[in-house]
Amino acid sequence: MGLVSWSWRESNVGHRVQFSFTSIVLLASAVIVGPVGAAAVGAASSLVQTGRVKPSVRVFNVGMISCVGSIAGLVYIYAGGSQAVETVDGPSALLITVGIPVMVAEVAQCVANAVLLAGVMRVANGIPMRGQVGKLLETTGPAYIGYGIIGFLFVVLWIPAKVGWFSAVLVLAPLFVARWAFVQYGDELRAHERTLNALVTAVETKDPKSAGHSARVADLCEWIAESLSLGSQELQDVRTAGMLHDLGKVAVPSRVLRSSRDLSDDELVLFASHTTIGVEMLSDIDFLKGSLDGIAHHHERFDGHGHPDGLAGKQIPLAARIIAVADAFDALTTTRAYRPSLPVPDALIEIEQRAGRQLDPEMVGALVRALHRHEWAPTVHEEGMLTRGAAVDHDDPEASDFLASRQDLRVRIAHEPHPHTSMSQTARRAR
Amino acid sequence: MKDFRGPTISAYWITLMAACAIVVGAAWWSIDNLDLLRGQTLALVLSFMLAIVLGETARLSIVGRRDTAPISTAAALALTLTSLSPGDMAMLSSSIIVAAIAVAMAIGGLVQRLRGKPFGLADAAARLVGVSVACVLYRQVPFDHRTLLEWQSTWDDRRWLVAVVMLVASSMAMLVQLLLEGAMSAQRDHASLLRTIADEVRAAFGLTTALVTTGALIGLAEYALSIVALPLFLVPLLLTQFAVRRYGSIRETYRQTIGALSSLTDRAGYTPAGHAARVAELAVAMGRDLGMPQREILELERAALLHDLGQIALREPIPGGATLLAAPADQQRIAHDGAEIVRRTGVLDTVASILEAQTSPYRQVREFGEDLPVPSRIIKVANAFDDLSGGVRGGDGESRAMERIHLGLGYEYDPRVVDSLSRVLARTSRAAAIPAS
Repeated sequence: MGLVSWSWRESNVGHRVQFSFTSIVLLASAVIVGPVGAAAVGAASSLVQTGRVKPSVRVFNVGMISCVGSIAGLVYIYAGGSQAVETVDGPSALLITVGIPVMVAEVAQCVANAVLLAGVMRVANGIPMRGQVGKLLETTGPAYIGYGIIGFLFVVLWIPAKVGWFSAVLVLAPLFVARWAFVQYGDELRAHERTLNALVTAVETKDPKSAGHSARVADLCEWIAESLSLGSQELQDVRTAGMLHDLGKVAVPSRVLRSSRDLSDDELVLFASHTTIGVEMLSDIDFLKGSLDGIAHHHERFDGHGHPDGLAGKQIPLAARIIAVADAFDALTTTRAYRPSLPVPDALIEIEQRAGRQLDPEMVGALVRALHRHEWAPTVHEEGMLTRGAAVDHDDPEASDFLASRQDLRVRIAHEPHPHTSMSQTARRAR
Repeated sequence: MKDFRGPTISAYWITLMAACAIVVGAAWWSIDNLDLLRGQTLALVLSFMLAIVLGETARLSIVGRRDTAPISTAAALALTLTSLSPGDMAMLSSSIIVAAIAVAMAIGGLVQRLRGKPFGLADAAARLVGVSVACVLYRQVPFDHRTLLEWQSTWDDRRWLVAVVMLVASSMAMLVQLLLEGAMSAQRDHASLLRTIADEVRAAFGLTTALVTTGALIGLAEYALSIVALPLFLVPLLLTQFAVRRYGSIRETYRQTIGALSSLTDRAGYTPAGHAARVAELAVAMGRDLGMPQREILELERAALLHDLGQIALREPIPGGATLLAAPADQQRIAHDGAEIVRRTGVLDTVASILEAQTSPYRQVREFGEDLPVPSRIIKVANAFDDLSGGVRGGDGESRAMERIHLGLGYEYDPRVVDSLSRVLARTSRAAAIPAS
């Protein structure tokens, strides 16, 4: 038994998904060396845990894991599991007297683990216990079924197939590879997120006065989505859409973006095409499929006088309605050349006045709730940036009202091909 | 009209021929012994074959790597290593086993093709050759008058030794397979053989380890569980395959995002359409030709795709988008702005330093002993070629562009890199000439 826990310790120490390995190993030892042995193995594996761990946490871990281990062992015996696996002969007998009890023990282990963890969270952080148990079971439950099967394989290989300790190497090798792939996935995912931000950086390089706007809108979108209790995938999509909503501005010529006088009609149409262009640019990225709607329609208005498609009310995709509110709020709380930034209460009054006309009242309500929970500091720019005149920013509600009053322009936005694209196509043909 | 290019022997054909020879040989030797396949043994072999067929249809594809079928390979290895406890199976010669595996793989391939999905013949052939090697090694070659399969039944109290032997046999199989596949892709990409094989082994290491151990696991557990071992012990491998697939999908997403980033300047009207993609393609071909390892190729490709990103900061586009025609100071600033944007991601630092140095003339290496990254020199040449030839391959445009580049040889451009460009261009024009004739 000493040898058993020693050899497992090796494969146990200091991994990010250590928990899943521990679970498999605990289950197997519950069968091979019984409840007491499993408790010892559990204690040993958490005692040798490397890294800086607070003593109280360490004590809790040791207690919890050995507790869980012995529970698994007891349940295994109680469920009719064979304690002398070497005497069991034949595949069907193995499945009935070892396989099924192992699965039952695994379920017990999963529940025990969730209850103990939720208990300590209740004591330490005051998080209500019942909800926490449900959440833990929901997130870790399916994985535990898999651990159950693997734990059974472990036992079979160890005793009936007579491979002994070497089975640890064999069973855990594919799992280590899986873990490695998951870690790689995580790294690559983070790298991808950072790279996605480079798209935003590029737009902001072209239009320096909008620096930070995308990130602020993304934060606001996330908060509003939280207030609406959206699911995690939806929340992520809304956040990403908020981040990338103005990407299409890259295709708007700098002279229009940085114009110091009011834009002409043609220029307004050109500028408004940034929603459609943004979608075109991102449509090749599978990962962003859920965010495209929000980007395409973030300049629609609740009253149907927005662009590009003149959608009204709930026809407008939810993400777009969220971005519209976030976009307007950030615009109002940012300094412009023609007005100072509004303090939060004033900006909220302005926003609330627009509920039902430009903005969805439900989203406005969600923004107000979100701002109760989060701090918001208006973006005040240094005077130096503002010495030159500037056209009304396209995100200011004023600009939205102007376009709403100009149906002729909205028709052009909806139907004219994007002038810039056609220009570069001619250029291509000329080559 | 065929274009004979000296006595180059294609690794592709060698692999296919070897696989064919194995199939014919296996069929020849097994035809007399087919009556051994009956009762329980037949059922056992059939279930392994079923697993192989299913494995062929549940394939794994990852960007930048050949798609493959780990479940199928693991099941084939397991069949090779399995001995039915009563001893029937031990009598089955390796020819029957190999024939069964070949038939199952063929059926799987057929199913895959019928579903309109891709099925790489060369990949299947390489895997078949690999598994056959393990089979012959384990079941046919006598070591001290007994085959490994016969030895293992005498090691009843030392099953761990059996496990080790099984691992060695299946590792040999994977090694043979990877060597063949490496040789094939080296020839396809005109890259250095050793480098490609090393890349191949490194890239496939994780998954290969998982499937080698799975094969051995099934072989070992079959001793206690008989055929139930097959589906049960494929579970960990399924988990692994799932994890690797997810990794593959995020890599694909990453690639798409870099693509979107790269097309920003196109969309904004700064660069001619497709310029970055063409420069990247050319740069990668040159990188392979110069024997760069896969990891650096990936960075080279990303840098080439993003090399004009800095133009985004320009107020007005350069005429024609050709950085080559801009003043050196402007070129430098564009390169710097692009590098800044990329550096802000915090994860593409190497790419950023490649971008930073992409306009520096080669003489700085010669005269000041400056250390210019090779990828930067490659991008400089590839970019110049695309700007000068207007993106058109072959014909007058190409030769005029090469003439201009040769004028700057040693001063602007690294001669080694320019030579590589000439080789790459010669190859593509040859490849273009074959279908034309």
